[in-house]
Amino acid sequence: MKKFSNTYIFFYLGGLVFAVALLLSLAALGLKPKQEVNRQREKAVQILKAAGYDAADKADAVRLLGEVAKARTSPAGREMYDIHCADGSDGIVVYVDGKGLWGPIWGYVVMDESMSEIKGVVFFHKSETPGLGANIVEPEFEHRFDGKKLRDANGHFVPLRVFKGGGHADDPHGVDAVSGATITSRGVENMLSQSLKEVVQ
Amino acid sequence: MKKYLGPLNRENPILVQVLGVCSALAVTAQLKPAVVMALSVTVVCALSNLIISLIRNTIPPRVRIIVQLLVVSFFVVMVDMFLQAYVYDVSKMLSVFVGLIITNCIVMGRLEAFALSHKPLPSLMDGLMNGLGYGLVLVVVGSLRELLGRGTLWNIRIMPQALYEAGYLDNGLMILPPMALILIGSLIWIFNRKPKNAR
Repeated sequence: MKKFSNTYIFFYLGGLVFAVALLLSLAALGLKPKQEVNRQREKAVQILKAAGYDAADKADAVRLLGEVAKARTSPAGREMYDIHCADGSDGIVVYVDGKGLWGPIWGYVVMDESMSEIKGVVFFHKSETPGLGANIVEPEFEHRFDGKKLRDANGHFVPLRVFKGGGHADDPHGVDAVSGATITSRGVENMLSQSLKEVVQ
Repeated sequence: MKKYLGPLNRENPILVQVLGVCSALAVTAQLKPAVVMALSVTVVCALSNLIISLIRNTIPPRVRIIVQLLVVSFFVVMVDMFLQAYVYDVSKMLSVFVGLIITNCIVMGRLEAFALSHKPLPSLMDGLMNGLGYGLVLVVVGSLRELLGRGTLWNIRIMPQALYEAGYLDNGLMILPPMALILIGSLIWIFNRKPKNAR
């Protein structure tokens, strides 16, 4: 077996690390614009979908969003949009964020102008468990929020509850949780109640 | 050719060598992430086997693990960035598990056991086949769990509606982590049973 001197090992590793770092940085720089476009497009598609638009043409989503929605911020500094929904009504989009099981979760909630009823929601997550918590981004789960009420009969804000077996037709404030993802579901519940509390009074 | 086919059968990395079980348990709740994960591991395993084999005579044995780790990490980060740039939807679904390929024992196991002592082309084949052997198990388990747990495959409904009307229910346990362990455990058991005519 060949004998390697310490100097050789030192320079060998140094060179290798440098080469790897260089290649990775170049790849990161080269791919970044494409990733950023993906993210912007994804965001626009999702907001449009929550507002009832069939944003099948992904490439056009950013432009379409600019046409139907006007960005503003809430008094508490939260990202919001005044949006003209697909069904002809006007609505309000609010950015919501919170914690899942492994990392941040966030999303957009589309409400009617009086902020008393949800028209649609979209959720995102950074690192929830694939197949379990990650299912909060599935349309099947997101549609469970459609038509849920955010205020009681007196007009006071009532936070939505997300729990197993929730979502009965006679419960306007309850939503069925994702099975196998109790903590992520609770995260969604907390995210909605805390983020919407700032906006819906 | 035949000598490379072991990983698909009697030398399967998951079922016989019991390597890479962690990610196999984690990403098999549905078919789609299982397939993408299988492809990612195959690419990483094959390419890092190739590179390590190419530079095998220059690697000082004392730091070979560090060198292997460096090469594996390079490919994993590359795969992650490419997934984010070109198949954004899937990369969101796999989230942290792509990064965790770095610690997948199959990849490093093949580098240690094969690439360090073999020529580049056989090493490439070996990595490819081990990745595919891993992927095969992921696809089988992923299909079973998605089909029985949700009644779908690749998010397309397979179980007919009539079955649900007749009282059939999706087995929620299938998509929970314990069922992955039980399924893979059963597969390992089936695979390692003694043939009838064995001594």
